[in-house]
Parts: sequence; structure tokens; C-alpha cells
Amino acid sequence: MHGFGFDALHDEICVTSPLAQAILSFRGGANGEEPPLRVIQGPHTQIKGTAGGGNDKVSVDPVNNEIYIPIDSAKVLVFDRTANGDVAPKRMLGGPDTQIRGVAAVAVDPIHNIVAVNSGGAMLLFDRTASGNVKPKAVIKGPKSRMANISSFQIYAPKGLIIAGCDGAVAASSSICAWSVEDDGDVAPRSKIPVQQLTGYTPSGIALDPAHKEVLLSAAGQRVRPTRGIMNTVITFSWPEIFD
Amino acid sequence: MSTNKPRNRGTRILVGVAAAAVGLFGLSGLQRWRDSVRLVSIEAIPDTGDACYRPVSAESTPGAASGNLFSAFEEIPVYAQDAKPPDITRPPVRDILDTAPIYSSVAVDVEHNEVMLQDANTWSIKVFSRLDNAKPGAPPTEPRRVIVGPKTDVQFNSCVWVDPGSGDIYSVENDIGDVIVVFDHEATGDLEPKRKLKVTHRAFAMAIDESTKELFLSVQYPPQVAVYSKTASGNDKPIRLLMGEKTKLSDSHGLAIDTKNKLLFINNWGNISNYRVPGSGRFEPPSITVYRLDADGDTPPLRVIQGPKTQMDWPGAMSIDPATGDLYVANDMGQSIIVFHSNDQGDVAPAKVITGPKTHISYPTGVFVDAKNQELWVTNLGNSSATVYPLSASGDVAPLRIIRSAEEDKVSLRFGKTQALVYDPIREQILVPN
Repeated sequence: MHGFGFDALHDEICVTSPLAQAILSFRGGANGEEPPLRVIQGPHTQIKGTAGGGNDKVSVDPVNNEIYIPIDSAKVLVFDRTANGDVAPKRMLGGPDTQIRGVAAVAVDPIHNIVAVNSGGAMLLFDRTASGNVKPKAVIKGPKSRMANISSFQIYAPKGLIIAGCDGAVAASSSICAWSVEDDGDVAPRSKIPVQQLTGYTPSGIALDPAHKEVLLSAAGQRVRPTRGIMNTVITFSWPEIFD
Repeated sequence: MSTNKPRNRGTRILVGVAAAAVGLFGLSGLQRWRDSVRLVSIEAIPDTGDACYRPVSAESTPGAASGNLFSAFEEIPVYAQDAKPPDITRPPVRDILDTAPIYSSVAVDVEHNEVMLQDANTWSIKVFSRLDNAKPGAPPTEPRRVIVGPKTDVQFNSCVWVDPGSGDIYSVENDIGDVIVVFDHEATGDLEPKRKLKVTHRAFAMAIDESTKELFLSVQYPPQVAVYSKTASGNDKPIRLLMGEKTKLSDSHGLAIDTKNKLLFINNWGNISNYRVPGSGRFEPPSITVYRLDADGDTPPLRVIQGPKTQMDWPGAMSIDPATGDLYVANDMGQSIIVFHSNDQGDVAPAKVITGPKTHISYPTGVFVDAKNQELWVTNLGNSSATVYPLSASGDVAPLRIIRSAEEDKVSLRFGKTQALVYDPIREQILVPN
């Protein structure tokens, strides 16, 4: 699994079952072999991966009751959060004008009404309700921006900050950076944690804990082997600068 | 598990200033400091940048312009490093990791009396004596040698296999590597494999038929069994491919071959879809599908073991007792080893189940039948151990011996691939999929 969501508003966990082309919603406190509350799966869903991957990331917008899943053919499908069974997506974002490539990570800012897609070493920013083959309203990309790709990223909506991967090759980021949702073009990040330099690990997943002003990162040893020899870890940094 | 705490860099700077002042003024001049500041140790300050910084320009540093050393002790402004430098260089406040091995697969070299354990946490293969036994109160078992390091290409490893003749060690790389790597029996340390075979992404388990010199490889998705020449390397293609809707393969994991009865067994997790067809996904119960050993193409199974009586729950590795044809299955989430007869089919209860507190079994993913010594080996993802039982064992039985790579009451994090995470602010919990 390369990315999943926790909906604190409705106390639910949202994950995908990649090989079964399904989105599953569980109770927030689910434990053991507990069945999901809801399953989105079937021909109407249009959920599709690839032979080698896909259907392995999902994001939730609890404010607007929507679930975002990037799929093969460089598209993002949006479902009603409460959808269950074989249901069609509410809308689809994709096409050459969107600049979305491959199966990209997605995050939503319900305050600034932005949906961000991390694709091809760029952060593509769309109006939250954008649909079809539309151009992004802004693109953060370029050497000054240091933008890279990461499996999952977050937006801290109260401050309008995108927390995503930077300083990396196309498939990995050695650092995490913060940009504004108002940024556009080759804009330097507002702040950066050089994760690999500090820890030896290449981050792959990002979670935020605003109450403790911390950012949590997952790393699984991929791309660059950590010198300490332990491949799997969860690392927590204090980062009050992005929360204050 | 280890926890890094932020280091008190400010205290170290203060101690350094106090030591310098002793040199300048003598001890009496610092009498009032003596009870509050003591130089208790000298440690190298890690090169992680400054938690605080002070301006260094001539205009902003009192005393610097005058060249007066005493002015260096005047009050100067010190700022927390949040004054907009882009890089945060504080070390992490915490980390969660497991320093012990997380064993996923086992193979036994009966000729050399050695056991190979696949460690998914350090991407290594650890080699032990077959007769090692960590008794209660004894320290963890030390391996004879370890294959580990970037040259080995061992990564995201899901299966270890030992050639019964040569002792060559095979390792299946399930994720980014997408290869089978082969090492000499005596290999140790960080060395390049003697042979690599590029395989399909999501390869999981392998076995070799010595009579035909064929290597069988299960692939999770698109579900398939690829059969290669035993000596295949590089980009060599499979001799044949068992694959297609009629095969009933689905998210295929464990693989075992019965060379006497010419049968191939595959277990399937039941996550099904055609990646070419949007919305074709569905769930089915886990199963074991049985084929002729030479099955090819889109061939239906001879029979299927499937249903609630089977107790299958994330079945992992499988191994066959060549004398009886009995099939041993590591039943990960079922916390058990379940055993089926060779001709079982349908919704059938296991002929034997090894499970319970005496067994020391915890999230078993690896299993190996040592027919020569009439023993059954199990790797336990949940407690950093491998346990061995009489092949006749059934029920809640204590192991004959344990290879233990952590403390006796070890509870493993069971990290497999910590690619993603979320934070649950309601319970203040971190959720990590594997």
C-alpha cells in the first residue's frame, strides 16, 4: 500500500485493495479481522490499475465528503465518501491538459478548495471541483522548487501548506518541503527537512500531527539503503514552523 | 525498538562556554557557577546543524568589532532557528523501528546441517546450524554467517531456497528488485550474487524440480506461475507460463511441488481483477489450486481447496512431505500451520493443525519439511524466531528447538514494507500498513 487516509471527522480509515480494484472504509478504531463499513467495487467504478502497480493510494476529503483515487491512464476518480457497492465516480480528472502522468498521489485542501496532484516531479494544483481534461490553475515545478515525487503527501489546510517530497529523483525524495497552495511556477519551498541527510532514510509517506506540531514519515529502505541496516521505520520530526 | 530523543545542544554549548571561562578567569572567579555547571563529559556534537544560531556579522556581534575578548561575555541575542532559513536541521524527535530480524522464510540444507532464514527487516539471509537451540534464559542465537549489503541485491525478499545438491542459496526479491539472486553455499557478507534472473514484479515463492531442472516461481499479480530452466539467468524467459482466468489463480503466494506425484500446489488470497478491464475486481475466499506439474497456459486446476473449513487466512509458504504427499501451509493470520492431504479438495478441514501457546508460533509465513530428519521448520514473523517440530506434530505442541534472534518474550513490529502511514488524531495513534 502506497497511501491511505484517515477521516478524523467521521472517524474512519479509508484504504484500497489494489488487486481487487476496491476502496474500503473501516471504523477508525477497527481492530483484527473486522469487515469494512463500505466497499466501492464493480464495473461502474472504473477503478483500474496496471500490471505492475496502481490502485494503491487513496485520499479522503471529510469536509466535502469525497474520496479521491488515482488510477491507471493518468486519471483521478472522485467518489462520494458514503458510496457503497458498484457506483460510478462523481467526477474524473484526467487528460493531456491536466499534465497528470501515471498513477499520481493526491491531496485535498478543503479550506482553499484546492486538489493537488503530485505527478512527474510537479505539484499540479486544480480547483477542488475540477473535472475532465482541464489545465491546472498552478504548477509548482523546477529546480528552485526542488519538487520531487513521493508516495503520499499532505496539505495542512489551516495554513495552506503543501507538505511533500523534494530533492529527489523522479521516484524518490530525499527531503520533505513545504510550499504554499498559492505558489506557482519554479518557487522555492518555504521550509525543508533534509530527511535522508539527517536520518539515512528516504521518506515515502507523510502524515501530520498538528496538535503536537509534528510530521511523521514512513520509510521502507527503498532506493537508498539506510546505513543502520534496518529497512523499515517511522520517523517523527518536530516542525512547528509549518503549524504556527 | 529504539527511540531517539532530541539532544540538548544548548546544554552542551553552555558547558563549553563554562570550560573556556575557567581557562580565562581561574576557578575562583567562577565560584558562583561551580554548583550549577560541571563538565561531566565531552562528546562530539553531531553535524546536524544548529538548533539555535547567533548572528555572525561584525555589525551584529558585540565585541567583535572592538576585538575585546571580555566583550564576548556581554549579552548577545540568540535566536531559535525559525527565522526563515529553509532547512530544518533538528534531528528527529522519535523513531519507531525493530532492531531484531523479522523472519519471513526458511530453508534447510540437510547436507550441511544448516538453516537459512530470510530477514525482511534487514534484507539479509542468516545461516544457522540446524541444531542450534536457544534454551530459556540463553542469549539469542548467533548466525554462522550473514549475507547482507547493497551488493547482494537482497531486498524486499519473500522466499529463500537451498539447492539440495550444490547448497546454492536462492532468494526471491518481491518488490523493487524483481529478481532471483543466487549465492554460493559459503557466501557471506556483502557480495554480488553469482547469478541473477530477472523476473516479473511481485514474484513471491519458488521451488526447483531437480528431475527436470526446472525452477517454479509464483507471481502475485497478474497471478501466474512462471517455469524457468534451473540455470536461467539475466533476461532469460520462462519455458512456460501458467496464467489466465481458467487457472483460478488469484493474488498467488505460496508454491509447492510434489515431484513424485507430479503435482503443483499454489495458494491464492482471492483478490481478483483483470488490470486491463476497469472495475473487474472482486473478492473470493482464499484457496489452494492443484495442477499437473507440467501445466501450461490457461489450464484449469485439477482440484481446489477452498472454504471456511480450511481455516486458510493469508496462507504463506507451503512445503510437501515427499513420503506422504501431505501439504504443510504457513497460515499467517490464522496463527497456525495447517496440513492437507494431497488429494483433498473443496471445503475440507485440515488433516492437522499446529497452533497454540506452547508452539511459540506467531504470524508464521515460512514453512519447510525436512524429510531427512523428519522435522518441520516454521518462521515466525511475530517474534523473530524459527521453531522446529517433529514432522508428526499436531495441536498445541512445544517446539523441539528454537532459533531465537531476540529476547524470549519478543513481540515483533512485523514491519514488512513501511511505505505509507496515517495519523489518527482521535486516538493519537499511528497507522502503518505492511
